[in-house]
Amino acid sequence: MAGRGRGRRPFGTDPSISRGEGLPPGLQQPTPVFPVMEQKPLPLAGGEEAEYLLALKQDFRGVMKNLPFFIKPAAAQRDVQRYSDKYHSSEQTNSLTDWNLDWRRFPRELQVHIRRRVREGLAFSTMDSSVPVQKKKKKEEEEVLLKLECLQTLEKKEEHEQSSEEEEGGVKKKPEEEEGAEAEEEYDEEELEEVRGQQAWVRTTEALRV
Amino acid sequence: MTAQEVRLCGLLLQEHFGEVVEKVGRNLLKSGTQNLRAIVHETGLSVDLVKKSLCVLMQHGACSFIQGRKGPGSPTEYKAHCDRMLRILRYPRYIYTAKTLYGDTGELIIEELLQRGHMTMSNTVKTVADRLTQSMDEGSSMDYGEVSSTFSKLVETHFLQRCPPAVGAGTTGSSQTANSTSAAPASSTAPTPESFPDCYRVPQVTLIGRSKRPLASEEGEDQRNAKKAKMDPETHGDEGIYWQVNFERFHQHFRDQTIISAVANKLDQTSSEIVRTMLRMSEVTTSSTAPCTKPLSANEIFRSLPSTYNIPRHILDQYLTLLVDDPMEFVGKAGESGGGMYIVNLNQALANLARATLESIVQERFGSRSARIFRLLLRKRHLEQKQVEDFAMIPAKEAKDMLYTLLSQNLVQLQEIPKTPDFAPSRTFYLYTVNQLPTARLLLQNCYKTVANLMERRLFEAKESKRLLEKSQRIEAILASLQASGAEPEQLTEVEEMITAPEKQQLDSLRLHVNKLDSAENQVDETIFLLESYISSSTKPTSFLNDVDGMWLERKAHFDLDDTARTLRHNGQKVERYTKETAGN
Repeated sequence: MAGRGRGRRPFGTDPSISRGEGLPPGLQQPTPVFPVMEQKPLPLAGGEEAEYLLALKQDFRGVMKNLPFFIKPAAAQRDVQRYSDKYHSSEQTNSLTDWNLDWRRFPRELQVHIRRRVREGLAFSTMDSSVPVQKKKKKEEEEVLLKLECLQTLEKKEEHEQSSEEEEGGVKKKPEEEEGAEAEEEYDEEELEEVRGQQAWVRTTEALRV
Repeated sequence: MTAQEVRLCGLLLQEHFGEVVEKVGRNLLKSGTQNLRAIVHETGLSVDLVKKSLCVLMQHGACSFIQGRKGPGSPTEYKAHCDRMLRILRYPRYIYTAKTLYGDTGELIIEELLQRGHMTMSNTVKTVADRLTQSMDEGSSMDYGEVSSTFSKLVETHFLQRCPPAVGAGTTGSSQTANSTSAAPASSTAPTPESFPDCYRVPQVTLIGRSKRPLASEEGEDQRNAKKAKMDPETHGDEGIYWQVNFERFHQHFRDQTIISAVANKLDQTSSEIVRTMLRMSEVTTSSTAPCTKPLSANEIFRSLPSTYNIPRHILDQYLTLLVDDPMEFVGKAGESGGGMYIVNLNQALANLARATLESIVQERFGSRSARIFRLLLRKRHLEQKQVEDFAMIPAKEAKDMLYTLLSQNLVQLQEIPKTPDFAPSRTFYLYTVNQLPTARLLLQNCYKTVANLMERRLFEAKESKRLLEKSQRIEAILASLQASGAEPEQLTEVEEMITAPEKQQLDSLRLHVNKLDSAENQVDETIFLLESYISSSTKPTSFLNDVDGMWLERKAHFDLDDTARTLRHNGQKVERYTKETAGN
């Protein structure tokens, strides 16, 4: 029935259109992305003020990229380890140390505690974190090798007793070897996000505890 | 937060703060108020990155936190402010205005504060003085006192304001706001900076001396260290007092400038000077949301005119009468005492300026005859098809086409007035109408979409020629270092030739395109400012609601016709059902 629905049909119900005219043919495809414009737009306003505003805008953007507020995501991981990674990683600075926040104005839960593991008398450093990570890596390797030796001796003892325990020991060795290799990989690939390193450390210790 | 606004905010955050902050900001805008765990879960970023991004957003005022909304033990919740993020588009205009009003020093102060979000006065003064010294000649340096005085002037004229003290950040706040912090979680509205009495009070800062010129032999590494806040052992007596830019005051200034230039374009220079004097006199007495200025007598205006304009008294009276009689209604007469009391109709002026913008948009997109129809409908409210053809003096067929084009673009609406309960098309009036406020909202969303498109196109162009841009940057760096170390001209030309001629052409055309797109963004922002001011000024009575509720309330105001139509239609359905049932029996 005419006019029953909520939609309006002005075109079809317009009394000024005679019955015989019919509706225009329907669209068969999406409208073109850049349709031809009958009216061309006005040219941009030039002048000194516009150019100065433009220069201000571009300068502002450039400066913002170098401020500590510009947070770069962790760089994409390379497929192959490169020699230059060792030197590139030292260029990255932890942006939060550049910027002294007044923590009285911010909620306490947002504080990122950059904990440095004080291992074997290491100094508490704020900038260059490659040194503790290297030492940590060496410690991890030593730990892993020690563990492996202990387990091997254990295995030889248990060999005589039961075959099932031997299997278990073999299974245990493999994940630990994997964990050791993983820890090395993680160090080579990751950026200097200290928390990531810490997480790797936590993971290896947990695995070793198993 | 409409989809276009969210998209534009995302692009602005990405350009200025990086992709990580963009993800977090977008998530907050779409999901409303959220706590930290929820944000981490939804964005999939690491906790530390999310924490850093939230700190960055809060530093710049784009996000705020509420503690204990659902009781004393509930986690802290974060809320993003869309309109604050959209202000980033207008930063160049703020900096330029500060330059015209307060010179280079003012420009640099505003620029530093916009880059850093909020800072203490002493930090700002020191940084600005260092920057000015770098650009000055050898041997001279900038005095801190000069910069401090410019800072105080900015605060006096309310262009800068203190940041509101932290609400419940977990430490004992300043003593004067101890009472308000306990009340703040209970109130639903955030305290504005102006609700604190010390908002515009300059603190006592002991900052004497001159800035030090950095050594010319420092390399980039050292300069980066210098940019970091050195652990300065000296405090200057204003710890904990942070300053931010007062955008509302800048907007008031822009609005005044627009009104003055509109008067200058329509009438002449002298009348614009008169309006400028009136606005200047009422700067301090008028609040930012007032619909018109306080009444000023003609005597006062005469006394306050600038001395360069010595027009006799009766000429001033004639000008004022002319301004009052003008159809644009910028100036109104409020009484006869004191030689005539005159006001500037701010809201009316904004509405008229917005209407002129809408008309010009229609004219540029659809042609001058469609614009004639549009203007006609704005003035005459509701017109039938036949009446439109007659008043606009356009042949029937063309008028019909134009009306339908405007209708399909939603710039014109159709109103049905039935003569009978069933909406038989032969017995219904179809009236065309234009509502200024909804049309302004529609075009504002179009503007946001335009700016977002311009930005995306600019990023796309830059990404296409990324390799070329990097190469040219490297060559520029090599040239600069060679020049600094004093190389011969042959070496310089050799390095310059590393870029081939077609590559140079490509670079030039790329630069031209990027500049054009950037400049276009700035100009669209002027339209955005006008439409936003008009919309916020006309929804002022319902200002405690956000914009969406304001729209709903406004639709209610048009209920008279729609309501009648709807009731009639409902009644018509009842009649039909009854006739069907009786026919069935």
